[in-house]
Amino acid sequence: MNTFNTINAADHRPNILAWLSPLEPRLRHQDIQESRVEDIGEWLLQTEEFRSWCAGSGGHESDRAVLFCRGDPGAGKTYIR
Amino acid sequence: MLTGCDVSSLVIDRLCDQAGGRDVAVACFYFDFAAQKEHSPTNVLGVLLKQVVGGLDEVPGEIVRAYENQKKVLGGRGPRLSDIVGMLQTTTSEKRTFICIDALDECVVGHQIKLLGSLSQILQKSPGTRIFVTGRPHIETQVKRRLAGRVTSVSITPRRDDIISYLRARLDEDPIPDAMDSSLEADILKKIPDDISEMCVWLPTLGRLH
Repeated sequence: MNTFNTINAADHRPNILAWLSPLEPRLRHQDIQESRVEDIGEWLLQTEEFRSWCAGSGGHESDRAVLFCRGDPGAGKTYIR
Repeated sequence: MLTGCDVSSLVIDRLCDQAGGRDVAVACFYFDFAAQKEHSPTNVLGVLLKQVVGGLDEVPGEIVRAYENQKKVLGGRGPRLSDIVGMLQTTTSEKRTFICIDALDECVVGHQIKLLGSLSQILQKSPGTRIFVTGRPHIETQVKRRLAGRVTSVSITPRRDDIISYLRARLDEDPIPDAMDSSLEADILKKIPDDISEMCVWLPTLGRLH
């Protein structure tokens, strides 16, 4: 049964992945990555909030699994690229 | 400048760089007002799962079975939200996973609530999973309510250094450099960062002049 599943899954892998969702965020990521100015926002990666979020593993009660970044619309979130 | 999606893209790239060679999965999604209809919770969580599964050597048996079962009915039915959440709970428990969601405020409110509820279910089973979310400030209350006790928040207002880097990059790309001299350039680099708010009016104008 296991062997059957493995062979089946290998054959159908692209179909199964397409079935999970029709969306393809890779292209959007590439677009944004290309228009982004190097180094901008680098400070965020150095903040205590980002570091402890990144390193956390859910083991402690003080662990915060979610990091929410609020963007100021006045900074031109949509128009200035 | 420093847009929400720039921050997301920076974080995603950093996480992917760190993940290289280690057993870590990074999955991301960018919301967009223009495509609200296609961005249903099922499609969005489905694409996160698709990215995690894409990095595995084998598609997990649970997912193969769900696919086989749905293929038999209605000439091929899509996955259900509850199935996707269940599959994400399993895969993220077995492998360290980072999920990045950009511009959650650009998603329909009803979808937002469902999505946050699903993320909360995933964290209950897999508390080590890391979730990064960007959005306008008004959705913070909703995020904190749905993911109670699990959220840290940071404000991403651009810093002075960000503005200077941005201006330098744009000046460098100037297609008519004759119009620029060093004193004008020095003026721009000094005055604009002094007044961030003014910049929102300034820069689009600068773009149109070009």
